[in-house]
Formats: sequence, C-alpha cells, structure tokens
Amino acid sequence: MSEQQVYEPRVVAFLCKWCSSAGSDLAGVSRIQYPANATPITVPCTGAISPMYIMSAFNKGADGVLVSGCHIGDCHYIEGNYLARRKMQLIMELLEFIGVEPNRFRMSWVSAAEGAKFAQVITDFVNDLKPLGPQEKLKKAEHS
Amino acid sequence: MINVQDIRDTARDLLAKGEVRAVIGYRRGSRGMLAEPAFITSPEQADELVWDPTCFHNLSLYLVHDRKFLDHIRKNPGAPVAIIAKGCDARSIVVLLQEHYFKREDVYIIGVSCEGTGVLDERKLAPHLNGAQASNAAFDGDDFVFTTAEGEKRLQAREVMADRCLECRIPFPKEHNAVFGEDKAGRQMEAPFAALTRFEEQGSGERWDFWSHHFDRCIRCFACRSVCPMCYCDECVVDSITFPVTTETTAEDKANRVRWIERSAVRSENITYLMTRAMHLAGRCTDCGECERACPVNVPIRLLNNKMEREAREQFGFEPGASIGGPSLVASFLDSDPGDFIR
Ligand code: SF4
Ligand code: SF4
Ligand code: SF4
Ligand code: FES
Repeated sequence: MSEQQVYEPRVVAFLCKWCSSAGSDLAGVSRIQYPANATPITVPCTGAISPMYIMSAFNKGADGVLVSGCHIGDCHYIEGNYLARRKMQLIMELLEFIGVEPNRFRMSWVSAAEGAKFAQVITDFVNDLKPLGPQEKLKKAEHS
Repeated sequence: MINVQDIRDTARDLLAKGEVRAVIGYRRGSRGMLAEPAFITSPEQADELVWDPTCFHNLSLYLVHDRKFLDHIRKNPGAPVAIIAKGCDARSIVVLLQEHYFKREDVYIIGVSCEGTGVLDERKLAPHLNGAQASNAAFDGDDFVFTTAEGEKRLQAREVMADRCLECRIPFPKEHNAVFGEDKAGRQMEAPFAALTRFEEQGSGERWDFWSHHFDRCIRCFACRSVCPMCYCDECVVDSITFPVTTETTAEDKANRVRWIERSAVRSENITYLMTRAMHLAGRCTDCGECERACPVNVPIRLLNNKMEREAREQFGFEPGASIGGPSLVASFLDSDPGDFIR
C-alpha cells in the first residue's frame, strides 16, 4: 500500500435476517450514505452465530467483525439474542484477553426500522477501525 | 488424613458384592513415584490402589471412554462403575451428568477430599530435589514427603502444589456415594484466579506477545483435547480428520465439508483451535488441570480456561459442575446479563 492510498478496513457483518439485515436494506433503499466496507452475512438469528464464525472471519482476514440483531425482546425466536449476548460477551472477553484490540469486535441491536442507526453503526465501526490498521494477529499467513 | 486402606476396603467390598463392575482408581506406575490410572475388576486387585500427591489424573475421562468405546464388551452392563474422584474430578462428573452423558446410577463416586493440600505440580518439584529422582510421594498433613536415593525429603505442600490447587475454592467432592477425608472448603491458599489476575495486570501488548509466542509453539498434537473429559465429541469441529468417512461418503462430500481451519500447526490455525476449545469449555471446564499437564510444550492452557471461568462467575454468576440439574452456561441466560457493550 502506498502512503497516499487510504486504508479501508474490511468488516464482516453477521446480521440477523429479521432485524439488522432488514435494517441494512432500509438504509440502502433510503439512500443513506455510509461506508461500503462491510460484507454482510445474513444469519437466521444472532443466537445461531457460533463464536467459531467470529474466529473464522478474523482467520480469513477480517479487520473487524460486527454482530447485529434484534433488540432484546424482539428476537423472532424469542430468546436467540439473549443467548447471543452471553456467547458474544465471552468471545469478546477472550479476544481482548489474548491482546486483540477491543475495537475489532462489535455488537449492536438494529431493528428493521432503524436504517439510520445501521448506517451509524457501520460508520462508527469503520472510523474506529481505521487507526488500528490491518488486522494481522489472527490472520492466516499468505503462502508464498 | 485419608488412610488408603479405607479406599481399598471400599473398592474390594463393592467388587466382591458385585455392586460395581469395575473400579477406576490409581496405582503405582512404572515411572518413578508417579501414580497411574488403574482399572480394577476383581476384589484381589484392590490392594494395588494408592492415594498420594501424584494422583493428579482426572479419571472421569475413563467414564467417557467406558461409554464410548467399551460399551460392547461389558460383562455386567447393569452394574455401575466406581471411580475415585477428587473435588475437581467430581465436578467434571457432575458436568457429564448435567449433559446426560450417562446416568447417575451408572457411576459410583468414591470421593476423596484434598483436605489441606492438593496434588503435585511436577515442574515445581524438580528444583527442590537437586537432580535426585523421587521414588515415592506421600501426603502428611500439610506436607508432602518424597523418598529419594538420598533419603526422605519433606516439603510444605504449598511450595510444590499445582496452582489450581492453591487457588481451589472447594477441595472436596460434594457429589459422591462414599467419601474419605474432611471437607476443608475455605482452606484456600491463594485467592481464586490469582495466577490469572497476575497475568492480566499486563497491558494488551504484553499479553499479545505472550500469547503469540505460545500460539506459535503449539504443535496441535491434540493431547489437551484427548485428556479432557469434557472434549468428548466424536466429531471435533476444528479437526477435519475426525469427520466420519463411510463407504457412502463421496469425494464430493468430503470436498464440500466446512473445514474451519487448516491442519497445519501454524499460529493462525492454532489460535482458532485453542480459542474455540476455550469457548467450548466455558462453563464446563472444572479446572482439573489435565490439559495443561498433558501439553508437551507447556502452552499455558489453564489461563484461557480460567479466564472463561472467571467471566462466567463474575458476569453471569455461573459455577461449573455445581449441580446436576443446573443450567448450562451458554444454553441459558438471565434478564440481568450485562448488555452495556452492545450498541
Ligand atoms: S483443584 Fe482442588 S479438588 Fe482438584 S486436586 Fe486440586 S485441591 Fe483437589
Ligand atoms: S496446546 Fe499443547 S497439548 Fe494442546 S494441541 Fe497444542 S501442543 Fe498439543
Ligand atoms: S479443559 Fe483442561 S482443566 Fe478443563 S476440564 Fe478439560 S482437561 Fe480439565
Ligand atoms: S431473530 Fe434477530 S436476533 Fe434472533
């Protein structure tokens, strides 16, 4: 990367189908401007996200990982996001424990009606990731 | 103090009456002072059993093996199997029961209290012996007594005990059918999670330096997984070699399997393995210390498990192996679980 080039962090965003994924669609159809750094992966529910997905995204080169789903009380499967809240806290603590920058992992609740909030979450995340530079710690080494 | 003769008498009696089909315990091994796991099936063998500071193995692993591999050769399938269990071992049996791995009536727990001490950490002993080899180790009150060619060596147990024993909150097997030794819960010699707390005093950069060094050193021999009673899955998500292959499995099936990590023992893959393992053991690991002891390159695995244990305790009020009917950590939640980190 030359010095003039701006570093663009790559974000993997695990979005629950019922809320955050719909929220991201709303941000799109409402033509809200936000950074194009996130690769969305739609999952049925945040409760279905294994911590392994987070590790795998970092392993394959994500600079940041976002998990986003329905607000507490709104989960389509009633308690999926309560379970996710626990599991994601544990993996977040573990990542920080081994010395990964806390700002590389983020979680949010974004409903289907919150297109603007989705755009804000992505904007903030990308802004927080930029100063950290590329994520090399958990990334699989390139085979030369 | 526990008299080993009482343990032998219990084992002999259970086998003689046919109340159990086997006793899993400890006997003198072939390598110096170390005890080794013993599988006793006749009353005469009961005298082989020992109880000393080198009985560190968590024998509940063999309850898992018994169910997994030996089911078909059981002579007396109805009778339970008896097992000698320390506090931490009994708690892993509770987790297995909680997960319905076997039934309570399938196991007869002969509990042994660690009383005022615990088990030996061999790595701590070597410097005290100045190169001498110990041929025997024995409990004696708050001391361990070692027999060497130069005579007897008496050490305060706390100088050579495993860290987990120093920090142990409940050195007593609450779940048991029979139990030996006093319940000295509260005798704790170091604060719970003391080693973890010391480690966490370092900054993020130092922590990464430490862990990246160890992640580089792991040779992915999977000894930590093999020795852990909680790692009982037939298919291990981080090890593609465990995925079943039958005559029906086509090359395409094999090619299309999700391979979460590569098999090469390089840093990135080792991290994914060890972090995933720590997550899978959250709320299930009872800090028996076997994984760290089995590791051929001394990866400090205990710190990862301890971190999960402490978070579970502090954030969710969760205690692994506390009760058979209790909830599991990641399949339950409380309305009061913290959520401040979520935007
Ligand atoms: S951790 Fe506790 S119960 Fe387990 S061997 Fe040590 S003192 Fe005994
Ligand atoms: S941590 Fe140790 S025991 Fe586990 S796979 Fe790596 S080298 Fe083997
Ligand atoms: S992870 Fe290690 S300390 Fe925990 S139960 Fe398994 S072998 Fe024991
Ligand atoms: S369906 Fe959205 S979090 Fe469960």
